[in-house]
Order: sequence, then C-alpha cells, then structure tokens
Amino acid sequence: MWFAGRIASSLGVLIVVSAVLFALTRLTPLSPARIVLGADATAEQIQAFEHDRGLDRSLPAQYSAWVAQLPRSGFGQSYITGRSIDLELLESLPVTVELVVVTFLLTLAGAIPLGLIAALTEDRWPDHLIRMLSLMAVSVPGFWLALILVRIFAVKLGWVPPIGITPLAEGWHAHLASLLLPALSIALYYIGALSRLMRAAVIEVLGQDYVRTAHSLGLSRGLVARYVIKNALPPFVSVAGMSFGYMFGWAIIIELVFNIPGLSRALLTAITQRDYPMIQATVLVVTAMFIVSNLVADLIQRLINPRLRHA
Amino acid sequence: MASASLNRRVFLQAGAVTIGGLGHSVAARAADERSLVVAIPSNPSTFDPINQGNHDAMVVNQLIFENLIEIDGEGHRRPMLAKAMPTISADRTEYVFELRDDVTFQNGQPFSAEDVKYSYDYMLDPAHKALRRSVWTNIESVDVLDRYKVRFKLKTPFRPFLDYMTKYMGIFPAGSREKYGNEVFQQKPEGLGTGPGIFVSARSNDVVEFRRNPNYWRKDSMAWDRLRVRIVSEEAARIAALLSKSVHIIGAPPVRDYVRLRQAKAQGITGGSRPALGSLMLMIHNTRKPPFDDPNFRKAVSLATDRKTIAEKIFNGLVEPSAVPAPASAWWYNAKAAEGLAFNLDQAKAYLAKSRYASGAEFELLYSSQGYLLDVGDAALFIQASLARLGIKVKLQPLETGQLIEQVFAGNQTSVLMAVIGPSDPTFIIQGIYTPNQVMTRSSGYSSERLNTLLADSFRVDDEPSLGPILADMQAILAEDSPSTWIGAIHSFNLWRTNVQGFEPNTGITLRLTDVAPIDAR
Repeated sequence: MWFAGRIASSLGVLIVVSAVLFALTRLTPLSPARIVLGADATAEQIQAFEHDRGLDRSLPAQYSAWVAQLPRSGFGQSYITGRSIDLELLESLPVTVELVVVTFLLTLAGAIPLGLIAALTEDRWPDHLIRMLSLMAVSVPGFWLALILVRIFAVKLGWVPPIGITPLAEGWHAHLASLLLPALSIALYYIGALSRLMRAAVIEVLGQDYVRTAHSLGLSRGLVARYVIKNALPPFVSVAGMSFGYMFGWAIIIELVFNIPGLSRALLTAITQRDYPMIQATVLVVTAMFIVSNLVADLIQRLINPRLRHA
Repeated sequence: MASASLNRRVFLQAGAVTIGGLGHSVAARAADERSLVVAIPSNPSTFDPINQGNHDAMVVNQLIFENLIEIDGEGHRRPMLAKAMPTISADRTEYVFELRDDVTFQNGQPFSAEDVKYSYDYMLDPAHKALRRSVWTNIESVDVLDRYKVRFKLKTPFRPFLDYMTKYMGIFPAGSREKYGNEVFQQKPEGLGTGPGIFVSARSNDVVEFRRNPNYWRKDSMAWDRLRVRIVSEEAARIAALLSKSVHIIGAPPVRDYVRLRQAKAQGITGGSRPALGSLMLMIHNTRKPPFDDPNFRKAVSLATDRKTIAEKIFNGLVEPSAVPAPASAWWYNAKAAEGLAFNLDQAKAYLAKSRYASGAEFELLYSSQGYLLDVGDAALFIQASLARLGIKVKLQPLETGQLIEQVFAGNQTSVLMAVIGPSDPTFIIQGIYTPNQVMTRSSGYSSERLNTLLADSFRVDDEPSLGPILADMQAILAEDSPSTWIGAIHSFNLWRTNVQGFEPNTGITLRLTDVAPIDAR
C-alpha cells in the first residue's frame, strides 16, 4: 500500500514537471525555427516550420499532442538533427548513468569509512584531519577541481585521457581510466559532505543508552559495531539517496569539462539549439532518475529501520 | 598478520597493475599510426551539404562532399571536380564547366555532369527547403551539355556565384535523394560524396569518424587513413586534449592560450594564423534608432574607436585593424577611406559636437556571451571605456548567441558588436547588411542608392583592375555614412602538434584536412 502510494505520487510529480517544463521551454524568446532554418530563413519559412510542428497552436493543445504521441512514437524526433530522441537517449543515458553510479560507489567507498574513523576517533587527530579534509572537499568548486585534476593527471602525468569516455571495447583499463577523473571530481564533494553526516550519526548512536548497555553486557565489539552502523545508517541512506539524484545535476558541469557525451551535454546542446522535444525528454528522464533514486532510498530505509515499516 | 600483509601486498600490486594498464592504454592509442584526431567546438547538426550552416562543422561535410571549384588555403579559387576554371560568357550570365572524368563517388558510381545538375536542381527546389537556397536563386538553369560538361545559366550577372560554390554546396549522386532519403544525408551519408573521407560513424556531441577513400581522385594526396573529428565544446578541454596528445589539431583555441602555445615547440605544439577573407568584426549600428540616426554621431563613435589597441592588446594580432569593411591586407582595401575614420579623439569630439547628441548620449551595446572563434567581451568593455571619454555612456548587454541573432536580424538592437563570417567574396557582408531585402538589412536599417548601384556593377566584373575601383568606391560611401564601426578583419587561427604535416590555417575558417597526416605515419 505504501509502495503503491509512493509510485502514484511519483507519477504525479512527473506529470507536473513535464507540464511546467513544457510551458517553460516555450517561454524562451527565440523560435527553434530560426536555429533550424538558419540565418537566411524568411518569415514565411519560419511560419511554415512552426505550423508543421504545431508550434503555432495553444500551449494546452501542444501539450496534449505531445502526451498523446508518447505511447505511439516515444519522444519523437529532434528538431535539429532529425534523429529519434529515443535513440539519442539510448546513446547518452547509459554514459551518464555509468558516470553517476561510479561516482556514487566512490562516494560510498570514501564517505562511510572516513565517517566511521572520524567518529571512533572523536576529537583526536584522525578526526580533526578528516574533518578538515572534508571541509575542503565541500568548499572546492567542482569545475575548478576538475580542471586541476585534468592538468595534473591527464596533461602532466598522462595517466588518463583528458576528454571523453574510452569505449569498453578498448579495454576495461582504459574505460575505467577515462571515468576516474570525472567521477572523482563529483565524488569528492559528496565524500566530504556524507562523511561528516556519517560521523555525526555514529557519534549520536554511540552515545545512546542501548550501546552502553550492550557494552556492559559484554557483547563483542563486532556485534556492537553492527548495531551502531545499522542505527546510524537511516539518515545517511536518506541523504545519500538524494545525493544520487543531485549527481545528475553535477554531471552537467563535469560532462562539459571532460567532454563526455552524456545526457547532460545532450541537454545543454538542446537548450542552446532550442530543441524543445529533446529538452523535454532529457529533463523528464533526469527527473525520473531523481524520483527513482529517492524511492529506492526510502525502500532501503524501510528495510533497515523496522520502525518505519510498522509506522 | 601474515594474511593481512599478503592482502595489502596483493591490493597494492593490483593497484600498480591498474595504473600501469591505464598508462599503457593511453600510450597505445597515441601510437596509432596514420590516425588523425582533430577537435572542433561545434556539434554538426547535419552532414547534408545543402543544410550545413556552421562554418566550424563544415569540416565534416567538406571531407565527404566536394564542389566544382574550391578556395585554397591562401584564398585563391581553383578547380576541384572541374578540370579548369569555367568559361564565362561575355555577358557573364553563362558559366560552362568541363568536369574531371576520373572521379567516382565513394560508393563506386562514376561522377558526371548529370550529378551536378541533379544536385543543384534538388537544392534549388523550394520544396526541399535547403538552408542556403537563397544565395543560389540567381541560377536560372543548370544544363548538361555532355557527359563531362555542364552549363549554369544565371538570371543576371553575379560574380559571387563562384565564391558561394566553394562553400555552400556539395555534389551528390543523381537519384541518391530518392534512393536513400534525406535522413541518410543528415545522419550517415556513407559513400555519397566524392571527397577523401568516407563517413564511418558519428555520435552526437562526441565524435565523427572517417576512413580514407581508397579511390579518391587526387592520387597525390598522402594523408591520414582514419580521421576522428572530436566535438569538444569547452575550450579548456580542447587545450588539455592538445597538450596531452589526445588530439593533433584544434579549432578555435582561446586567444590567450593560442599566444602562449603557438611557439611551444618544446611541448610539441605549434600554431599559425591567416586573415579569414570575408570575415569582419564590427559594431552594427541601427541607423533608424537614436543616437545612431545621426551620421555625425556615428562618425564620432568610429573615430573614438582605437582599433589598433583592440587588435594588438585584446586580440593579440588575431584581428587585423581596419576602419572600412575590408581587410587592410586585401587588394581591394581603400586606405584613404580608412584613414578618414582612423582613431582621433579630437576629430571624434568635433563630430560629436556637430551631432544632435552634442551633450552626450547613451546606448545599449549587445554582444554574445558565448565567444565563438573570438570572445568579444573584452573588446566591448574597451569600447565602453573609450566612448566614456567622449561623454557617451554605453550599457553593455551580453546575450546568448541565439537570442543575439534573433534581436539583430529583427533590427531590434541599437548597436551590436560581433564577428561576421562569410565566404571570401568581398561584397558578401556589405550586401548582407547594407542593401535592401537581405538577411541582416534590418540590423543596420541603412540604405544607399549609390551603394546598391555599385554592388550591381560589381557583380558584372571579376578582374582586379575592373573590380578594384568599384569596391574602393563602396568603401568610401560606407566610410562617409558610417552605418557601422568596423574594427577589423578576423584571423583564422589554430594550434596543432608539431608531428602533424601538411596542415595550415584556412582563410575560410573551416579546417582543411585532406592532405594532413601525422609525420609518424610516413
């Protein structure tokens, strides 16, 4: 029942987002006809272009037509390239998803142990060091960090390529190498933020009565650690789930710096070219990813927190 | 403990292998011989030669599709698919081309006059909505005289016809549009041109791949076997790619990096520039709007503009200063007309005093917030400061390029600072901005009967002795009326690795890659 409710509300959010987005894209002052038909286009050509694509109809009529075509022909065709948008998304979405997933895994691999170490060494030098580094990580602009990483590891050392994602066909080493810097550029911020969250959550749990009781009953350190981590995880999972969605936003900047042909670059290009169908499709997909990641985070929360299941 | 040590060792070894593997794979790619990689900023939205609007992205079309004549790297016309330059009738309305008989399309189909007629007829048909159709409407007919001879009949004499032919068209096989459909031309025109590059694949915003056409008609052309045109929109990323040897050549480098790296032989990088014929940087004033409705005010602005400083200090010599719509190094440059508008603050003050805006004025100057080829933001700031010395207040208004173009084409702007890129024809920009019923006519709101007459006269001649005086008179009229403030001619400039042979910047902006190869490949 809870799950059905969440699915329904998620669909509602998607519909609202799609309608608002549809209206917003059409508020831009420049007609896509001018970009598609170019500088030499006459007023008649522009009118004909807009008529052919229904751009001269009312907004509700255009929106209804767009929704109606979704089940029949998917997201339709790009105004600019004439390509199927579904195909464009099939090419660019996996690239971005892979980047975000690798980023997320790097984030978890960094944030959880660092948060735990900091909490377990509270107010001692490892804690101070980790807190200082995490503060630096959240303060450094991702764009700048990406450029610095490129300069050191791609230009100076030549360990990794400075642009693009190397296809898997050229070997997993090369593929992973090309993903490393972009993922790290996004992940460092989240490692900083989530490690601080993890630290705070663990310290709070460590101070709970039941932890002291467990120690006094002579439970093993491993067992106590399991209880502590399990109880510290809910706030972490919630924020981590949100972060997964936000990483798609970060990818816009990072894909630009590293010239990665993902969803975000496709979106930026579509915005510049006023490619309405492409903008709508891309933003809708990103919104859906955000909603799904939150939904998954909520599901995990319920799995690890029985109080939520019985609420 | 032993187990822990072992695990750590295994872990470190695995890491070392991974890092070593990464380095190895990058090195392996760099050693890929006869493979040329270039980076350009713009994503080609189409490969169709009749619909390509972006000069930067034209590199992909021009590798696939060719024309009857071309402009060489130095800006001279020369035959391409034609055997020689055309025979032109005395009234200059008929151009007869003898075609090469040793050319085949990449799909094996022999090239003939029928293909030329088919291509032009297809492009001229309004139903096909070719992007550049408007520049070709002076063609009355294209007739096949024999298998390798074709005649173009024009409605009126039109000298720029040959210059447009080098850029805004491409020949494709007769019947190919019906056989393959427009989508193929737009997205994967494999085998449909006569050029040196056979289209292999493309990924939007990423890369376009070519392989060498083994039957290319120019047998003396020794170059790459495979070519990857990478789309790298971020200029810092293009520089990083060049520095790290991921690409051999980059288009539109940032000016500061160009200056820093053009002689960085130690880093394996070199660079070069050339005036881009037919391209100008200018402020287009709307002469229907105050304060530019007063010729004296326009002259004051022109005289207060220190082009030399802009060209040398802001654009590091990549703009050739000129106060008239012609490059100072061009044979048609009118030095006398330009001299009358040279930087002179006292004269500027005198003209301002004579104008209706003697007590000062204020106007909005638009410019693109996204520099393409050259970022004009600093120049706009400099102009603002210069005009402030005359008591003219300039409000700078950066706009996204699309919006800027919309405003300028509609004639909504008061003044705009921009770079206009066109073919090498010396009247292309003059016609487009200052004569009636053209794309940018409304941006200037200017008209001059004398200029229109001279332009029509210029279309009837093509030799320097006849054309020179006409072009000089046109510049004199424009200098006198000053509907724009011309800053200068922009240069085409590139950076490339020193292990590249046969590359030089193109006067037409678009990269010329037909005869380019990494030296290692020889």
